[in-house]
Amino acid sequence: MTPRESNTGWRTVGRPAGNELPAPRPRTRFRKHRSVPIAVNIAPMIDVTFLLLIFFLVTTTFGRPEGILASKLPSDTGAPTVALPLAPIVVRLSPAGSDGCRIDIDNYSTVPEDFEQLAVCLMEIQKLPGFDSETPVVIKANDDVQWDHVVNAWNAAVRCEFTNVAFSDSGGSP
Amino acid sequence: MYQPHTNRRIPRAIGFNATPMIDVIFLLTVFFMLVSTFARKENAPMKLPDPLASRAKDIDLPDRIVINCRLGDPSASVAGATLYSIGPNAPESLDVIDRRLAGMKQQSPDIKVIIRADRRLDYRDVRDVMRVVAANDIKMLNVAAHTGEGE
Repeated sequence: MTPRESNTGWRTVGRPAGNELPAPRPRTRFRKHRSVPIAVNIAPMIDVTFLLLIFFLVTTTFGRPEGILASKLPSDTGAPTVALPLAPIVVRLSPAGSDGCRIDIDNYSTVPEDFEQLAVCLMEIQKLPGFDSETPVVIKANDDVQWDHVVNAWNAAVRCEFTNVAFSDSGGSP
Repeated sequence: MYQPHTNRRIPRAIGFNATPMIDVIFLLTVFFMLVSTFARKENAPMKLPDPLASRAKDIDLPDRIVINCRLGDPSASVAGATLYSIGPNAPESLDVIDRRLAGMKQQSPDIKVIIRADRRLDYRDVRDVMRVVAANDIKMLNVAAHTGEGE
């Protein structure tokens, strides 16, 4: 055995000397697998992402969130089911100008100029003796008053923590 | 032989780096998926009342019936007539809505009515609906308005 050959027959490091032929490579028992690099194909993911993006871009309309205000209705079948106490707070709404609204509170001297003042007045009334948050608030509006004003009056009462806010079927003129 | 130095550029392959684009697309997609709340089909598009410091709450009522009251088309045969509809249905007369409500009340006594009325309507137009609702022995009324969020 030459110094360039090991016991196993593998060629050792170095250049073969002279006319020496390289030793034959021994046959292995198993075939060597070619290694395949592992890769994630992201094309379908990008496809789906684009699809979602375009869907949301097309369908999205940014609207303001809406909620509900709960109230009681007057009943027109026989006797009223809700027994009102003697002194409900009556808020009257009548049209003023083209789109405006005049606000009056029965038996209350101050005339609120807007719905912010209405809330302040209702809060003051609530603190008077004989009134509390369970005192009914009745909103009486004229036919021509815009619905927006009616809801504003209703909301003002709810802001003052009145729990019994109702509509009246009759008009709002004092 | 000496060759003078020239500014010859080494040709490079033109590539497209898609990473920032994918980043932005993912960002947008996640944003839309988070902020999207799908509109209910029963809610017709209209200008809802927008009260000052609104106390309207976003409550998901069971057995809800939405009555939409919209401004009529000025060019329609009856100009400006208010359009009433139950949910996503086509506009109907108040008599038909009355009959439908009566049927629904029989089937489910605990129905809750939500009135969605355009803010520009007159009170009389909405009051007519209230009368129909009250005539069907439905005591509690819910009115849709914008919430205080998103102002």
